[in-house]
Amino acid sequence: MEAYTVWTYVLYLTVSVMLTVWVARTLHRNGRVFLVDVFRKEDLADSVNHLLVVGFYLINIGYVTLALKYGTKPTNFKEAIEFFSTKIGLVLLVLGAMHFFNLAVFARMRKRAMLRHAPPPVRPGEYLGEVIG
Amino acid sequence: MKKLTVLYDGACGFCVRCRWWPAKQPKFVEMECRPAGSGEARRAFPALEPKPGELTVVDDDGGVYRDTDAFIVCLYGMQEYREWSLRFGDPLWKPFARGLFGALSYGRRGISKVLDG
Repeated sequence: MEAYTVWTYVLYLTVSVMLTVWVARTLHRNGRVFLVDVFRKEDLADSVNHLLVVGFYLINIGYVTLALKYGTKPTNFKEAIEFFSTKIGLVLLVLGAMHFFNLAVFARMRKRAMLRHAPPPVRPGEYLGEVIG
Repeated sequence: MKKLTVLYDGACGFCVRCRWWPAKQPKFVEMECRPAGSGEARRAFPALEPKPGELTVVDDDGGVYRDTDAFIVCLYGMQEYREWSLRFGDPLWKPFARGLFGALSYGRRGISKVLDG
């Protein structure tokens, strides 16, 4: 009976970590272009990108390892599949939430940067010839 | 645009109180507040036709913004409110902005009375 639990744990850890790495790499690769646009400096963008990915790994792997032992332990093959599926489902939801949170952060940064360079929304009604100060 | 000079109604208690508000905000554009029609305002902008009853903003190129546009360009200068200024400047929102800032401008004496007790 113990074997079901142990093998499910091993499979759960492997699949979860692989999923986390895949999502993090996707974020790292595709988020870079946003950050370069925001910071207008490639080295700064790369640095922020790297730090965001580190945070992403810490939170996700932290969740995966913490959630390992929770749930009813499987005693047969059917329960093992259910146990595994529930755990992976939760990991996917956490990854999805983190992914959208990251996207929201990127979008917000980009919006801020665009605001800085936005032209004034209104034109002057008249011009003074001479401005002293 | 690097600097905005905001000429406010110096006789309005509410406006005098409010001039501290942009001063505290993080800004994209330097902003300076002066009472409209005062000696310093007249010295700085001798060619400006004084209308002390309305908010007037002059940019560093001598461009003059009055009424609703003056409020919008003030918001444009502040980091936290630039998004709102772009929204209010949009033709879709402009009538709403005109109503809002018109009401604020019209009601400022009343607000001043309430604030000053």
